[in-house]
Order: sequence, then C-alpha cells, then structure tokens
Amino acid sequence: MPLVATDGIVLHAIDYMETSRIVRLATRDVGLQSVIAKGARRTRGRHGASLDLFAEGAAHLSLRPGRDLHTLTGFDVTRSRPELAADMGRFTAASAIAELVLRFAHDDEHAALYDTLLATLDAIAGAPPGRARVAALAGAWRLVAELGFAPALDRCALCHRPLDPAADAGFSHRDGGALCPACARQRTGVRALPAPARTALRHWVAEAGDASTPGDLDDATGRAHQRLLREFLHEHLADGRPLRAFDMWEGARWAGG
Amino acid sequence: MSAIEDLALELAKLPGIGRKTATRLTYHLLKQPPEASRRLAGALVTMAERVRSCEVCGNLTEDAQCAICRDPRRDPALVCVVEEASDIGAIERAGEYRGRYHVLGGRLSPLDGVGPDDLAIDALLARVRGGGVREVILATNPSLEGEATAVYVQRELKAHGVAVTRIARGLPVGGDLEYADGVTIAQALSARREMP
Repeated sequence: MPLVATDGIVLHAIDYMETSRIVRLATRDVGLQSVIAKGARRTRGRHGASLDLFAEGAAHLSLRPGRDLHTLTGFDVTRSRPELAADMGRFTAASAIAELVLRFAHDDEHAALYDTLLATLDAIAGAPPGRARVAALAGAWRLVAELGFAPALDRCALCHRPLDPAADAGFSHRDGGALCPACARQRTGVRALPAPARTALRHWVAEAGDASTPGDLDDATGRAHQRLLREFLHEHLADGRPLRAFDMWEGARWAGG
Repeated sequence: MSAIEDLALELAKLPGIGRKTATRLTYHLLKQPPEASRRLAGALVTMAERVRSCEVCGNLTEDAQCAICRDPRRDPALVCVVEEASDIGAIERAGEYRGRYHVLGGRLSPLDGVGPDDLAIDALLARVRGGGVREVILATNPSLEGEATAVYVQRELKAHGVAVTRIARGLPVGGDLEYADGVTIAQALSARREMP
C-alpha cells in the first residue's frame, strides 16, 4: 500500500457516515484522487477544519492499487481561499473551474495542470470587482490547453490554412476550433467568432496569458464567451452529463462576477 | 427480484450504507422475530405519514408548526438560520439560545447543482417582510459553501432593515492550540475580542 506525500487542493467534499468525508483532491504528483478522510467532520479530528473546499495543503495519501477510493491519512493546510465565498460571481466561477478539472483530469501526474488550477483560483479570488468572470474564462481555457484539447485559432481546424487575425471566423466545437470561410460554409452548427473574441481566446490559451488582459468584457460578450466554453467542454465530454456548476456560473443574477 | 434483494437494494440507498452493509442488515433482520421487522416497518410508515416541515421555519414536526414556533417563551424577533433541521438539535443542546429558527434545507453548492432557488431563502425573506423580526443570526456551517450561503443571504436581507449577524468561528472549547490547523487559528485571531 504505497504512501504518497504530495501537494493537493480540495475540489469537492461530501459527508460520509457520522464523522468522515469523501474528498476529491487534485494533486501535483498523482493527479485527481478520491479519498476518504476518516474523522474529518470532527472539529478536533486530525484533519481539523482544514478539509474545506479549495483548501490547499500537504496531503498524505495511502493509495490502494486497483481501487477508486483511497485513504487520506493527513492534510496540513497551507492556504485557504475564503475570498472565493465573498460573492456568487467568484463562488460559481471557482466551482466551474473545479468542475472542469473534476470532469476532465485523470489520476496521473500533471504538475502544470495543478499549477494552472491554483493560479486560476488565485486569480478569481484576487480579481477586482466585476473581473472574476474574465479571470475564470482565462484560467478555464488555460486548463483546456493543459488538458491537451486547446482549440485551433490561428489555422483552420479543417484545412489548416492560416486565418487572417483581423477577420471574423466560424467556430466549430465538433471540428475543434476556428474555421476558414470556405470550410465554415460546408459545416453545420458553426458559431460566429468575431475577431476580438478570437484574439481573447488566443491570449487566454497561450502560455503567457493571464487574467488581466485583454481588458474588461461587457456583459453580452462575457456571456457569449461563457456559452462558447461550456459548449466546447460538452463536445469533449463522453458521458453527456450536465455541467451543473457551469450552468450556475452563467446565472443572470451574478453576471460579471 | 426476491424480498431479500429488494430490501437490501432499498437499504443501500441510505447515506453511508453500501451493498455489503445493506445485505448484512437484511440478514440481521431475518434473524430477528418477525415482530421486530413489523415494528421497524411500522415506524417507517408512521414517520413518512406524520413528519413534515414546519410551515413557519422548516423544522421537522408532526404538526403544522413545530414546538419551537409554537412556544410563546421563544423570542420571535430573533431568527437563527441553519442549513439543516438537524442543526437545530445541536444548537438546542447548548441550552443558550431562546429565539426561533429558519431551516434553509441545504447550502449553496454549484458542483452539486444547489443554487439559491433550491433553498428556503425566499421563505426567509417573506418571514422578515412579514414584520416582527429584529435580528437574523446566520448559523450556516463554517465551511466555504456555508460562508458563501451566509454572504448571499446577508445581501438578500440588506434591503429589509434587520440586523444580520454571523456565528463566531475559532478554536473549539477544550481544544489544543498546538494541534489546531492554521486556518482555524487565523480565524480565531481575526475574531479575537477584548476581555471584560
């Protein structure tokens, strides 16, 4: 039964029986893991109050080969993110990011994905009022790129011809990115992707991208980006289950975050 | 499907009970006199037929209003908001609180699909609008989801002119500082108070 010590962050937790908690943990060294934290609901248990959503720390795991549920033997919290509960925009955005990782990541080492996840949650937590949505969109596309299915943006996803950076383009979820006008005409279900939206996407997907650019999004543009991202993720999900946190993130009452 | 499989399947739907435990419980019941199973079945039927939510606060009751809402000695101007009806028992055991309650029926959890419309927040706002409430105490759990719920409810209550307070967070009584986690210590320090 290998014991592993790794950095980890809590992405989901449900109470189990009287005192335990089942936690979905994203880790730096062993990817996404489901663990049982025995006694985690006791305030004086060994986990204390540390196993809270988006808490980050040094996790000690007892991994059982061939099993889906492992044991968390310790979690020394190094960082919590109470700012993510400060408003519904931040809270739902961070939850959508967690959902993205929970639905797409695997149980193998992926340090870059882990670092991008932390950076995204920090960006959402620290975003000025009204900019949490931009921070989440940027981080989500970076995560998509880390997961290996970044959309084609500079060349047509079908014929691979270079696309004019200043021109509007079509966007096909099924084909995996932007299409030239000729290919877009031949396909169904193609969304219009204005040039500024493609510039924003390119910036967010790029390694050097960050949440502070390309500037504020007005509400309609922000919503269009949220819808594009959700549809893109749905296209790549094999199980067809809804993205519940994403749906809530798009809720009208906390638009803009 | 056999009666044994049927019961095991139903028991396995309960939280914290897996297939093995459900099967074990089924065989345990089979070893008891039939009267024991009848009593259990009767208790389940009675509970399902009689227990409902209090029409005022959402607490579990066998009457239209729960015993706390009916009690004239409880202060109706003080309303303590909790996530679940089971939280009321925990607060009542402390024996200090003399106000009334409001049960939200959960907490905000986008990952589980629980949003504001799934909680009894509108019922709380209607209760406050109805008048007679002086203070609302937000006693959702001290977790990130509980905090997000408290913040949301507080903002919804803002326009209604009632005092809104949040239960304190920090070190448990009888706890050991050495073994407390950093988050709890930080919150205990930020919520420190002057000694009288």
